[in-house]
Amino acid sequence: MEFVAQQIMNALSFGAEYALLALGLAIVFSIMGLVNFAHGEIIAVGGYTMVAMAALSLNNPLIVVGAAILAAAIGAVTLERVAFRPVRYADPTTGLLTAFGVSIVLQNLFLLLVSPRPIAVTSLYFLEWPIPFVGLRISSLQLFETITTIIVIVVMMLFLKRTVLGLAMRAAALDFEMVRLTGIKANRVFAAAFLISGLLAGIACVFIMARRGSVDPHLGFDPVLMAFVACVVGGFGSLPGAVIGGFLLGAIEVAMLVLLPQSLGGMTEAFVFGSIALLLIWRPDGILTPPREKGDKQ
Amino acid sequence: MTLSRSQKRGLVGASLLALVLILIGTIATYFGSKYQLRIVYGSYVSLMVVLALQVFMGNARITNLSHSAFMGIGAYAAAICVTPIAMKKISLPSAPWGLNAFALDPVTSGVIAIAITAIIALLIGFILVRLSGIGATIVSLAVLVIVHSLFLYRTDIFKGNQAFFGIPQVFTLTSAIIIAVIMVYVVRGFKESRWGIALRASADDEISAAAMGVNVHRLRLLAWVLSCVLLAVAGIAYSYYLGTISARPFYFNHVFLTLAMLILGGMRTVTGAVLGTFIISFGLEWVRWLETGPTILGQKFPEVLGLSGVVLGSVIVLIMALRPGGIMGDREIEDFILKNTE
Amino acid sequence: MLVVQNLNVFHGPIEAVHGISFTVKEGSCVSLLGPNGAGKTSTISAITGVAKSTGRIMFADEDISTLPVEIRIRKGIAVSPEGRRVFANLSVKENLRLGGAYNTANVDRLIAEWFETFPILAERRDQMAGTLSGGEQQMLAIARALMSEPRILLLDEPSLGLAPKIVTQIFGMIKRLKEKRMTILLVEQNATLALRLSDHAYLLNNGLIVADGTAETFGSNDALMAELTGLA
Repeated sequence: MEFVAQQIMNALSFGAEYALLALGLAIVFSIMGLVNFAHGEIIAVGGYTMVAMAALSLNNPLIVVGAAILAAAIGAVTLERVAFRPVRYADPTTGLLTAFGVSIVLQNLFLLLVSPRPIAVTSLYFLEWPIPFVGLRISSLQLFETITTIIVIVVMMLFLKRTVLGLAMRAAALDFEMVRLTGIKANRVFAAAFLISGLLAGIACVFIMARRGSVDPHLGFDPVLMAFVACVVGGFGSLPGAVIGGFLLGAIEVAMLVLLPQSLGGMTEAFVFGSIALLLIWRPDGILTPPREKGDKQ
Repeated sequence: MTLSRSQKRGLVGASLLALVLILIGTIATYFGSKYQLRIVYGSYVSLMVVLALQVFMGNARITNLSHSAFMGIGAYAAAICVTPIAMKKISLPSAPWGLNAFALDPVTSGVIAIAITAIIALLIGFILVRLSGIGATIVSLAVLVIVHSLFLYRTDIFKGNQAFFGIPQVFTLTSAIIIAVIMVYVVRGFKESRWGIALRASADDEISAAAMGVNVHRLRLLAWVLSCVLLAVAGIAYSYYLGTISARPFYFNHVFLTLAMLILGGMRTVTGAVLGTFIISFGLEWVRWLETGPTILGQKFPEVLGLSGVVLGSVIVLIMALRPGGIMGDREIEDFILKNTE
Repeated sequence: MLVVQNLNVFHGPIEAVHGISFTVKEGSCVSLLGPNGAGKTSTISAITGVAKSTGRIMFADEDISTLPVEIRIRKGIAVSPEGRRVFANLSVKENLRLGGAYNTANVDRLIAEWFETFPILAERRDQMAGTLSGGEQQMLAIARALMSEPRILLLDEPSLGLAPKIVTQIFGMIKRLKEKRMTILLVEQNATLALRLSDHAYLLNNGLIVADGTAETFGSNDALMAELTGLA
């Protein structure tokens, strides 16, 4: 019983992390068709901000967390302004390659300006303690992560339903030009998309850092690779798809970790990616998108 | 067999590129230091990879991220076949299926490696060619991750991140030059062949190409397998010269490096592939020298690790922003000397 | 209100419209007629700034030809585009709210007004716009455009692909707008219908204006009418 509960918590917290990141990728993709592989470096920006806070002896956890999230958001908006604006209306491949380029530049800048080695960040250890729950012990961190993600998703939904900018972002996924023809400024929509994706990456960063306790230039690479897969599973650009894909992936990964024999432990990633490739053959547009013929107009 | 006009031009272009390759290679052979020879050899191997990549990306216009994995498959397959039994007993003591109980000559090993890569490519290709655009790219990414996990996981066969050593060093720079020259002809030949032309037409407009009776999937599969075969050759050339291989060079860093070479030169042309490879190979070598903190004109510069990565990434970003078609765009080398009368 | 001078419109390297000039006076309804591919929609796209163009576009005595799309719209231009282009993944009400994105003070009042005018839209207010019929989508597209209370309305092919009964309904609505002295630039293939509403009309063919005049001059020119109705 305890084992099952623990695995469910694991799956939820893995899934929450992937969902947060996948949402950030999906919101940018839905609007400008950009697969933002530099998303991982935004997480690292948050991580290094925590290092900087420690260096400044600012140890108030609220300040540390707030600064990391803010830095990630500013980082994302800056990337849009500096790197992605020229390829705004380009084809997805050009965008993807640009994002790879940005990702390489940032990783190496961290390496060059900070250090290639991991740097410990201890200011978030307070987030982790065991919580007794109907006779079980649950990790507070995992609970926080799951609850935060649910709150974030609800807030996002409200934003997308209730505000004009939110409506514009949903509409832009379908017909950006028509959104401009209603007088909404394109720059604002793009900036908002990156701002949101940065905030989400910042929140994910807090939990990643609390779990790992250290930051290195490659901090965000693996999580974003998984988030990317989550997006694919849910149908790229679909926001509900990103959330579902994230949690599904968390469940698959935990299931693989639990069910695969010890000897195959190193192959978890291969199995996850293999199942995704198979899924794509079955449903090239993800599970939430209905199958569509080439050449169909929307 | 009569050649069409564009095929004749292709022959001229390929010959010009071959001349350049022979020239650079000969100069390096006669005047280069041992260290410089290694670098030039490395750039010729990169060239093979980039040419192979051009076959698929340039004609089918689908971004491939799995090429380093196929290079790795070729390299490991050849290495396992060719390495002497005595060596393998040390390096792969627990290899399954009697992999450490036989050894073949380099040519047979190479052929087997190519055949294995081709079969794997064919199997994956059946899936991949059915998807287009970003979907195909994502599957290729999955292939890269899966193959790399296998290299790392089966340490009894591949030794993972440790060195697989003892491969006979049968290749010299001359071998690499010859292979690269042949590849230039093959790649350009494919581009100007009727399959290449049909594939490029289908990339521009898949639906109308299909309406004209072009079997896009089959053409893509052809380009994909050819590309992977050439990648296997590159992998073999890599292992036959260095004598040791490990899993790390066949992962993301290498993927981005070679991709940057292709898009800098321009993925639509063979000339672009050659140009991009040499600019980045030699350019990065220079940046790496700066990275180590050299002394220039009596001035000691600090060590700046990561500079080469920053430069590489910036090149990709700038090219995509300013010149998405790369330096060459749609031009091949012969366009600069032959008249355009078409 | 709108003065277009020497307008050339480009689609990539191709020039679709070659140096046309026309005027839409305040409170009038002007139509651009002509067959498919004559350059009518290109002209609308040039006025909104979606298509690249050269020449002068004066709106309310101001040259807007170098301004970005959003700014032109905010000066008081609204468009109901060809193919309607309602936001299919948004509800009817959300579509209307977006139409009034920069007219927030009056959004609620205007939505209530539109729901009164088109009870069918009120009935489907929370339905996704993509599930509406063609005619309903056209009404929604026009209502969305008018949510910003524009000074000029660009109407691109409002009758396209609709049943005759629905077309009559749509044109009835346009007529009411005209009676309220809304300035309208109407693009239509259906010349007979358009001329009934228009104060002035221009006939485009192959990117050039080949004829212009009042509805009466068009109506009295039998050869021209025969050609026009043949085209329509």
